[in-house]
Amino acid sequence: MCSGSFLAIGPAASRRYHPLMKLKTLFLSLVAVVVGALLGGGSAFWMVAGAQSLGGSVTSGGWGTSRQIGSPSADPWTRALVARAGLLALAKSETIYYSRAKDDAGQNLSERCTYQIKGGPMPARWWSITLYAGDNHLAFNQDQAASIDATRHVRDTTDAYQALISTARGDSGNWLSSNGAGEFVLTIRLYNPDASVQADPEIAPLPSVTRIACEGAKP
Amino acid sequence: MKILGYILLGALAAIAAHLFVIFQAPNVIMNRAMDGASFGATQINQWRHAPRATPTPPNAPPETRGIVRPSTDLAYSICVFDLSKGPVRLRAAPWDDYVSLSLYAANSDNFWKQNDRDAGGKAIEIVLARKGDDTAGAAGIARVESPTAKGIALIRRLAPDAAAFARAEDARKGDICAPL
Repeated sequence: MCSGSFLAIGPAASRRYHPLMKLKTLFLSLVAVVVGALLGGGSAFWMVAGAQSLGGSVTSGGWGTSRQIGSPSADPWTRALVARAGLLALAKSETIYYSRAKDDAGQNLSERCTYQIKGGPMPARWWSITLYAGDNHLAFNQDQAASIDATRHVRDTTDAYQALISTARGDSGNWLSSNGAGEFVLTIRLYNPDASVQADPEIAPLPSVTRIACEGAKP
Repeated sequence: MKILGYILLGALAAIAAHLFVIFQAPNVIMNRAMDGASFGATQINQWRHAPRATPTPPNAPPETRGIVRPSTDLAYSICVFDLSKGPVRLRAAPWDDYVSLSLYAANSDNFWKQNDRDAGGKAIEIVLARKGDDTAGAAGIARVESPTAKGIALIRRLAPDAAAFARAEDARKGDICAPL
């Protein structure tokens, strides 16, 4: 490339850098560094700022978790995601957190739709299912229906339960309000999980989340 | 420099910038949380008992939305600790259901926790110190060493309804976060 300089005369001269060529090299190097830094830093920022899950690749029925949440041995990416989407989370020996942003059909969970949650007993001392808006905070409404938990949920004689996710309370005894939630996420907390689930979070029997209908959708 | 050289330089810069952001994110986020929870470092080494978690508007000041994904079923008490002037005594008073005391380093690691079962139903009580700190004055109380001078202590009490939350507020009176 450099040998193409119009100031170079002969092979020996072509190997010497003219000041203008040095400037060009410096400028292009600077551009490469700036563009690279923007892409690399931007990708990390985008990954952390947009985090809606707690990272990891352990899944159970559409719910995801990580074995490393809260652990000093967590990799830097998990630690960054947890700081953003679950700051002050506990390690899995105390609590296992599962989250999901999609229904059982793989569609984003949305305030525009109603959903049915169906599940049974979960292997822990105490559990809860909480709905958060896409910004990882409680959806802004006054419905006081952000969660259902092991102590208050309505269940049948086999401990099975159903819950409705919608913007208005329906007939279901268990309701999670999606009022003002936009595209939302669900989080399950298993406090003092059974040893078997601590060892293998994938085996936890977690509830299904089925879309019933969507606003404006064809029947 | 050949085009390949520029691409390599750009790739190295991208990797370095990516890692820098990823490694720094937990510290930055924790610093922001500690700043908010201590009202700009004016309330250090003392419990702040949070009201029952309720939704806040998306445009509310960041300090009112410091903790992401709060549980509406738990009564949280938070203490931003600073061990630079010496050890701190921490106590979570007994509770008739789930209660835990957990400690987080400045990089967000949950480096220690204990719950009511671990404590045999009694109060959870420790002296938190840096390596080398003298804690002889707290004989009989378990010593825990923090990897960083600053961090967050958090008490969680299961209080899923208004009545339980009111009782938790009474129990909180026995909590301690204070210099030794």
